[in-house]
Amino acid sequence: MRFPSSTPADEMLSRRETLKLALAAPAVSALVSESPMATDSESASFRIIDTNISLFQWPFQRLPLDTIPELVRRLRSLGVTQAWAGSFEGLLHRDTTAVNNRLAEACIDCSDLIPIGSINPMLPGWQEDLERCLQHHQMPGVRLHPNYHGYVLTDNPFIELLKRCSDSGCFVQIAVSMEDNRTQSTLVQAADVDLSPLGDVLSHMPAVRVQLLNCRLRPAQLGPVRHLSNVTLDTARVDGTDAIPQLVKAVGQERVLFGSHSPFLIPEAAMIRVHESQQLDTASLSAIYRDNALQFAAGESIS
Amino acid sequence: MTASMPGLPSSKMLKSYRIWDSYFTPAFSHPGQDGSILLFREIERSLPAIQCGQFEKLCYFPHIGLGTTTDPDFEQMVKSRPQTIRTPLERWPDLLIGMVQLNANDVAASLDALDRWIQNGPMKGVYFPGGGPAALTCNHPNFDPLVERIQQLGGVIMQHTWFKTGGKKSSGESTPSELAELAARHPEQPFVAAHAGGEWEQGIRAVRDLPNVFVETSGFDAKAGFIEMAVRELGAKRIIFGSHLPSRSLGTELGKIIGANISDDDRRLILGANFRRLLPVE
Repeated sequence: MRFPSSTPADEMLSRRETLKLALAAPAVSALVSESPMATDSESASFRIIDTNISLFQWPFQRLPLDTIPELVRRLRSLGVTQAWAGSFEGLLHRDTTAVNNRLAEACIDCSDLIPIGSINPMLPGWQEDLERCLQHHQMPGVRLHPNYHGYVLTDNPFIELLKRCSDSGCFVQIAVSMEDNRTQSTLVQAADVDLSPLGDVLSHMPAVRVQLLNCRLRPAQLGPVRHLSNVTLDTARVDGTDAIPQLVKAVGQERVLFGSHSPFLIPEAAMIRVHESQQLDTASLSAIYRDNALQFAAGESIS
Repeated sequence: MTASMPGLPSSKMLKSYRIWDSYFTPAFSHPGQDGSILLFREIERSLPAIQCGQFEKLCYFPHIGLGTTTDPDFEQMVKSRPQTIRTPLERWPDLLIGMVQLNANDVAASLDALDRWIQNGPMKGVYFPGGGPAALTCNHPNFDPLVERIQQLGGVIMQHTWFKTGGKKSSGESTPSELAELAARHPEQPFVAAHAGGEWEQGIRAVRDLPNVFVETSGFDAKAGFIEMAVRELGAKRIIFGSHLPSRSLGTELGKIIGANISDDDRRLILGANFRRLLPVE
């Protein structure tokens, strides 16, 4: 991963050229074209794609890695070669156009950060936000926060948003939670997203690609999506010493993508958790740390 | 396999930390009808992570028949066959440390248990739960005679603590503020605030002025900034590592310490030296 301050101009050009050439398949080529730079960790034996990071500041606390250079430096040292970056600003800001502009601008300066725009379908004119994310910023996907934006998964704007994403070929990340509800601000409490309607909603849109972020390994969250083959999950809040192998067993290895929820959570935590049970072989670890993300981003079928 | 795995220091480095886990929770609410079957299974389930992290020792919290479970048959069995309580320590003598679960609602029986299990060994301290039938808010006067006796015996007190958004989920839960009240009444006795209150930004503040209160690090997500704040406000010598294995993970719990922006000397204190200093094991 490259630092903003040291990104060579030719590499930035290369990214822009890549994006220009990607009009036929928006932004997918940016995803599958990882940085050629080696990580700076001698011990890193996996090239990792982190599908769940956020830029800028968490609204309720300064975090040790909440500046882009520090976050990038840490992720790079841990073997991360590409990170899909949402924006903490997308939680509470209503000017989502500005939020996504800042995100896209930040990622242009650091080519291994892939911007994932925030869409709030409860705001008037959200369709224009989506259009700008996909066409202007060439983002490969968008990130949703239903519990911070005040809607449930049966609401029509959400369903319309999914249809548009399905039609345009971009993926949708739904953040099921951002923080343990036991530690949230008393003034801004957001219950975990109720996933129970998702099966019915997606039954009408078999082509849409959805990734759930920050799920727990709990029946209420896993049950409704266990059999939804076009839904993947990240690993950021899947806790328990053998929880990742359990998740693999429950939904299939192909549907488990590495995500750290950095910088809110410490990135090392998610990385260790994937391998600590010693139940997954090298091929499975490679799939979770990297290959499944590439497959999901490219829109390849999961079976 | 662990030497070059993502996020983890080398085995050599981990060994050098001499990790002592103060909060190992196999079969935490019930060890199984025979007193050990679930407990053994959960310890074995944890062994890969224990090996991966190069832990030296782990402290668990056995039920000893004081009504700390909701199973009357088990409570009766363990009273009639107390030798079953020792079986994990006999099977893993070099790995495990025990601290008994007390019931502050039953002071007489708990005092008796202190003599039986700490004075005569092999247990090193006590655990006061935050839920279940034995939970009692720790500023209650019932705690005072127990703390006095534990202090005489040189035992450690691990008290479950949480500050939960929206308030307590059961009446017997304790907050770090309530532990601070108890600790102020017994300034010579060390107390460990398990989970640092969960919502640690408040938890750390609540115990900051009580030098005899340590904070334990497990039981909540690996939210960044925790260890940095604890070192800043309490000093590294008042922080004690816990794993909460196997219900939590090595990644979540060790990651908090490994990934914190602190000195390696502070890491060594937190991961083992502080707990060793509290426990007269070596």
